[in-house]
Amino acid sequence: MGHHHHTKKKLSRRQFLGEASCAAIGSTAFLSSILNLGAINAMAARPHIISNSNDYKAMVCILLAGGADSYNFLVPTQASEYNDYVATRSTLALAQGPTLLPLNYNNAGRTFAVHSGMDGIRDMFNAGEAAFISNIGTLIEPISSYAEFQAGMKKMPLGLYSHSDQIQQWQTVLPQSRSSIGYAGRIADVLHDMNTIDQVSLNISLAGKNAFQSGNQYNEYSISRSATSSNIGYEGFPSYFSNAGLLNDTRDLAIQNMAEQQYMNIFQQTIAGLNKQTQESVEQFRVALGNVIPINNVFSTTNLSADMKMIAELISVRQFLGANRQIFYVVYGGWDHHDDVINNQNAMVPILDNALTEFNTALKQIGMFDKVVTFTISDFARTLTSNGNGSDHAWGGNMMMMGGPVNGGQIYGNYPSLRLDSSNTLNLSSRGRILPQVSVDELYAELALWFGVSPNDLAYVIPNICNFYDPSSCPTNPGGSYTPLGIIS
Amino acid sequence: MNKKWLIGLCLLTYLIRPRAQDTLIIGFGDTYGTIVSASSSNGQQSPENTMDASGFLPNESAASRFLSQAALGYDFADIQEVMVKGRSLWIDEQMAKPVPFRLQDRVAFYHDFARTNLGDPNTGTRSGWWDNAWWHYHMSSDDLLRQKVALALSELLVISEISGFGTNPYPLANYYDIFLENAFTNYRTILQKVTYNPAMGLYLTYLNNPKSDPAQNRFPDENYSREVMQLFTIGTVKLNMDGSVITDNQGVPVPTYDNQDIFELSKVFTGLTWWDRTQFYRGALNNNSYLQDMVMWETYHEPGPKNLLNGYVIPDRNPINGNADISDALDHLFNHPNTPPFISYYLIQRLVTSNPSPGFVEDISNVFVNNGSGVRGDMKAIIKAILTHPEASSCQAGEEAFFGALREPFNRYMQLNRALKVSTTSGVFRNEMNNVYNFTGQRPLSSPSVFNFFQRDYSPIGPATDNDKVAPEFQITNAQSIAGYLSGLWEWIVDNNPADENDLYTNEDNNNYINEVSRLDFLEDLPFTDNDKVHILVDKYNMLLAQGNLGAETVDIIIDAVKALPNGTDTEKERKARFIAYLVMASPEYVINK
Repeated sequence: MGHHHHTKKKLSRRQFLGEASCAAIGSTAFLSSILNLGAINAMAARPHIISNSNDYKAMVCILLAGGADSYNFLVPTQASEYNDYVATRSTLALAQGPTLLPLNYNNAGRTFAVHSGMDGIRDMFNAGEAAFISNIGTLIEPISSYAEFQAGMKKMPLGLYSHSDQIQQWQTVLPQSRSSIGYAGRIADVLHDMNTIDQVSLNISLAGKNAFQSGNQYNEYSISRSATSSNIGYEGFPSYFSNAGLLNDTRDLAIQNMAEQQYMNIFQQTIAGLNKQTQESVEQFRVALGNVIPINNVFSTTNLSADMKMIAELISVRQFLGANRQIFYVVYGGWDHHDDVINNQNAMVPILDNALTEFNTALKQIGMFDKVVTFTISDFARTLTSNGNGSDHAWGGNMMMMGGPVNGGQIYGNYPSLRLDSSNTLNLSSRGRILPQVSVDELYAELALWFGVSPNDLAYVIPNICNFYDPSSCPTNPGGSYTPLGIIS
Repeated sequence: MNKKWLIGLCLLTYLIRPRAQDTLIIGFGDTYGTIVSASSSNGQQSPENTMDASGFLPNESAASRFLSQAALGYDFADIQEVMVKGRSLWIDEQMAKPVPFRLQDRVAFYHDFARTNLGDPNTGTRSGWWDNAWWHYHMSSDDLLRQKVALALSELLVISEISGFGTNPYPLANYYDIFLENAFTNYRTILQKVTYNPAMGLYLTYLNNPKSDPAQNRFPDENYSREVMQLFTIGTVKLNMDGSVITDNQGVPVPTYDNQDIFELSKVFTGLTWWDRTQFYRGALNNNSYLQDMVMWETYHEPGPKNLLNGYVIPDRNPINGNADISDALDHLFNHPNTPPFISYYLIQRLVTSNPSPGFVEDISNVFVNNGSGVRGDMKAIIKAILTHPEASSCQAGEEAFFGALREPFNRYMQLNRALKVSTTSGVFRNEMNNVYNFTGQRPLSSPSVFNFFQRDYSPIGPATDNDKVAPEFQITNAQSIAGYLSGLWEWIVDNNPADENDLYTNEDNNNYINEVSRLDFLEDLPFTDNDKVHILVDKYNMLLAQGNLGAETVDIIIDAVKALPNGTDTEKERKARFIAYLVMASPEYVINK
């Protein structure tokens, strides 16, 4: 930087201001145009699929944050498997009887039950409206056994068993890097134009900003479960003020003008862009919420049920948001049960079960049951063994899906052995950590194709997808004989 | 770089800059010209000497900028103080200030107050006492630098109200007191106190963590052993001293530890229980249980050697000396080569900028390793080195396209209360901070998880990701929190309702707190609300709140917007002044601190 000293006298006033001033010198555009090139190039990189579809589809992703102990969601009940379960889980094992609800399911003698708090899920499963996926987890490529894991020749997810990394990887399906760009965001990158109002995001979050819904081009829109047409947006002069309308318009214009300036600092650029996006989206949502006919007498008063109610109501006014495709994101946290897992789950599982069941009822009520797929994700499953009365971080676990498009009443994937001895080739540790055999990628690929993502775009949306198929059957191969999990009917 | 030359440029810029910031400052006495007349103790008053190694500052905006890094909030008197004393002396004096009182004692005071007024010795606690204690401390004390560092530490060594014990004000206050009392001690000391604090023991579930019982397939809880490495000391990947990631020959980051290391370390954090122990697995007996460090109960401590990372072995000692295991493990992590860059980088992000240069990180890491007297982890030296580093104060860094950080929403709230001189008639403050939390998602010790409100490596989409830059605070910046912040500004500033005051006990007598209601005072602005003078107020708040970062266009936008407001009565004039402060704080140039 010392060269400035020698060229001091040659600096024009403009350069001088730009390079060396301490306080701001005005938000002039001379550097911002260069800095904006990167963003513009990124925008140009992905061609949009221009589609003016009249059909509607939505996904709802519920993150059970903290790493749910899902081996107590879905429990094997065939005698020898149940004995393994009890021996391994010890103080964490659920007793057969009222604490386990059997499923109408028998696969060559293998039978299962769900947690006692899951009576609604049991009923939906038995009615063919819900399904489980067993031993699913974050992978870069398939790893078939403990031996292969130990050999170290397979690519491993970064930060295995760490909350922050594993949540992020469920969101990004990119376990080889720490990225802020996620699956649903990349779907928005390729499908945004299926929706008819450009300012309204395809992705709507009930849980704030998240990597799942961040695309290279599009952000999520974040909304509160208690939003209404009158409280959305921000406070201003009250209506009893004689010229409140004019003054609030003036205020809004000032905020808009500030957001539309060119800034040379990239963080100022970023916040200005978010302010503008917020201001524009709020107006669209105000209109949509004003047209909601409340769905009464269906939902409980828990936060999770209130989130699901908001989603159902937004789906009911989708036309006011110009939406043919929507992805909703919800977080139900508090599953990091290092301590007291039995009691904590007894309190939390019914809340989840109620919210899912109520949402299912509401979708039927508004005639959208066949249009919406809801699924749970979680950081990881937990150790099969106990640390006293809790469990620690592990890997592959059991997730749920529901909705009209789901081929329900099934358990996809292969529920693993819960033995700790060497007969269990998927067990990685004396603590009982199970190597996942279904990758998140496979679930997401099936959902994406159902959702309308072209096979040609699948590798953009799910970058590692072809690691899970032989090349000829990879879904991105036009001539391939892609074999889906079969979750979507 | 030639520092003196650079400083000269700053000054020159100040003198010739366009009216983006008018030089007339009102309400504080006429300080025009003080930019070159700060009374240097060495008697020399040339512009360059005001900014030599002793750290004198050239102008209000530069002092305001320094304080925006060194304090959660400050007013014009603080700016003047920094201008007179310079950075270095101000920092030294701040570090010498005593802790005025413990939050824990303030909570106990509320508890006694409630007991007395209700006439019931068994009166229970209220969660709001914690928030009231925090707020009263921060609005009534002048240890600005301690407050800043303590909040930064509370976002690194995270516990939260959102937890099993979070409605009890005692553990929250007792835990936060660690940071107030040790902001300027040693990072190893802080690590020790955090590890033994029962609130952390509960939060990361190693209070009552027993040794292994292989027959039952029972093993120690791994929660703390993971997070103490991932978040509190060394992080997940190996780092150079300049904070850059060490990669293998495939370009893949090299992990600092694996799950076997976590498993071994988990054996160390066994056997800790309440200081007033009666039986293992017991809950808190009463509020006093939370107020002292956990103790080792050797019966439940894992015997045998512990093979920690990098081949370090804790010897096979009698479990009665379990505390020595913990001490060895914490020493080992504290002395790990990752800890200096990992912690230094974090502190730079919290105080100065999201993307410090490698040189900046390395300079601070070196101070972490050795404060100049052979001491590792000296917080005084680390904090002072950050705040006086050329990259923190140089004009050039401030103008850089990639310099600066999104101000945390809660920090903005603190800033407005300090700058706009929040007051109560009694000088006693109360604020349960539900309002600011509902609007912004932030208040002290209210993170949703041990991963804080945001993570250090978060990068928002757009120019930040395109340029491989991080901006952690954007992780909590979304349509909801943006609208919430604007609503909050309106309520706090325009509606003059900056705090939420609630009963300290059921049906408290209104007369108790009528003198503790917070208000922001704008009376001194009233002479300047005519349309031909409003630019003076814009300049004032630009300097005071935004360090002069608002450009000419933004200033014009604000002036144009407020012209429409009625300006007849004093009420209208005051509202107009408040609206100006609102718009300054709504601007992107304010929200980014650079």
